[in-house]
Amino acid sequence: MKTYSAKPADIEKKWVVIDAEGVVLGRLASIIAMRLRGKHKPSFTPHMDMGDNVIVINADKVQLTGVKRANKTYYWHTGHPGGIKSRTAAQILEGAHPERVLFKAVQRMLPGGPLSRKQLTNLRIYAGAEHPHEAQQPEVLDVKSLNKKNTRSA
Amino acid sequence: MSRVKRGVTTHARHAKIRKAAKGYSGRRKNVVRVAKQAVDKALQYQTRDRKTRKRNFRSLWIQRINAGVRAVDPEMTYSRFIAGLTKSGIEVDRKVLSDLAIHEPEAFGAVVAKAKAALA
Repeated sequence: MKTYSAKPADIEKKWVVIDAEGVVLGRLASIIAMRLRGKHKPSFTPHMDMGDNVIVINADKVQLTGVKRANKTYYWHTGHPGGIKSRTAAQILEGAHPERVLFKAVQRMLPGGPLSRKQLTNLRIYAGAEHPHEAQQPEVLDVKSLNKKNTRSA
Repeated sequence: MSRVKRGVTTHARHAKIRKAAKGYSGRRKNVVRVAKQAVDKALQYQTRDRKTRKRNFRSLWIQRINAGVRAVDPEMTYSRFIAGLTKSGIEVDRKVLSDLAIHEPEAFGAVVAKAKAALA
């Protein structure tokens, strides 16, 4: 018997929609990362893009516990001397692109490399309650009901 | 005794290396000095990877079984599943279990139920 390896023809990519309102950031990101990679399927094949397409709505209402909303800092370097810049999670969440907090969390949970970059394009995050993918008839994935620790106040 | 010219053996040795280095990139396929290093390293990897292949496959089967177990029963994990199998005396290896999870989800579900019953 040969170990199964998924071929492009037998890969079935589903669409799921997740409401991020009040869900703890890291716990949500780990569920999304698992779905994007396809590790929830018994036919998981490490070198194939076989995860689901994930739509996230209300990404700006994601929950950070403890003092992380005020203290968690995102750094980047501009390349110039002394060019280290930073922004806190609160600043990003209240800024023009609040969905980037969740995007960054998912990106950093994926292993990296060409395949991971491709899988990240299957993730679509929206700050509001609307998304333009109704035509794909996404299935609702209720993250809150999966585990009671997925929601926590402050 | 006939005369032996060194160029013949050298050429044969180099041809052998260049043949083994086919498909390598840049100078690694044409320049014998570089190609020899690349071929030596490739043979080392080959020896090592014949051993790691067995571990890699086992870990892939475990990942697939874990996905299958969690899909069938949200309360079960790979670890609890294997503990249950040991207790109930089911001796099916991970390769077959992962194949069951992919192609025979119902049979696999029955095995998971058995394992869960043994844990209680």
